[in-house]
Amino acid sequence: MLPLSLLKTAQSHPMLVELKNGETYNGHLVSCDSWMNINLRDVICTSKDGDRFWRMPECYIRGSTIKYLRIPDEVIDMVKEDAQAKSRNRAEMNKNRGGNAGQNQNQRGGRNGNRNNFGMRQGNQGQGQGNRPLAQGNKPRK
Amino acid sequence: MAEKKTGGFNEGKRRKESILDMSKYMDKQIRVKFAGGREATGILKGYDALLNLVLDNTVEYLRDSDDPSKLSEELTRNLGLVVCRGTALVLICPHDGVEAIPNPFITQ
Repeated sequence: MLPLSLLKTAQSHPMLVELKNGETYNGHLVSCDSWMNINLRDVICTSKDGDRFWRMPECYIRGSTIKYLRIPDEVIDMVKEDAQAKSRNRAEMNKNRGGNAGQNQNQRGGRNGNRNNFGMRQGNQGQGQGNRPLAQGNKPRK
Repeated sequence: MAEKKTGGFNEGKRRKESILDMSKYMDKQIRVKFAGGREATGILKGYDALLNLVLDNTVEYLRDSDDPSKLSEELTRNLGLVVCRGTALVLICPHDGVEAIPNPFITQ
């Protein structure tokens, strides 16, 4: 389980965020990104010493200033489902890839053997024109 | 396809959009906290993708003279027009709706 997957799954859930400066923020996670920058709504901010409190409707917190986040227990079950679905997808993709490889083997003997094709799959840009038809047989490149 | 080659700052598709839409704060008073503990409030006049901000009529909250760990709401200094460096920002929130409240957590 990846930390950021868990965080992403925890969107719309309440959580506690402690910053490196000791302040804590309780609020509902609205959104997060790959830098762990987060948006919270209906926030209660607690000072480092824990004796002063502020309410704020929303806030944006820079990910690099976060010490840790406390996330509700139930979120962990949801992220597991996500992970399983993802690995299933990956398995399917691999199966398709295997199928492609089989096709390619049938075309063996031409100028464009498997080796060249393998180069294409790795994203090698410096291919001659002769490889085009094979490349189309593969997954479309981005 | 040709666009891809330009590779400029606004490289269309590839660029990840910020999760924070600063445009909703334009010409509104926002409160910012900086790494190191300074805090300020000002009217947002501009911003960029790195979250550098332009604030106008900026007021910085100063530390309490008898307890330097705390910032005082009364003790301030006017900074005027300011460019805030994005990397130094810790927190951004709208100024309206922020209020000091008594302990909302039941302490028993």
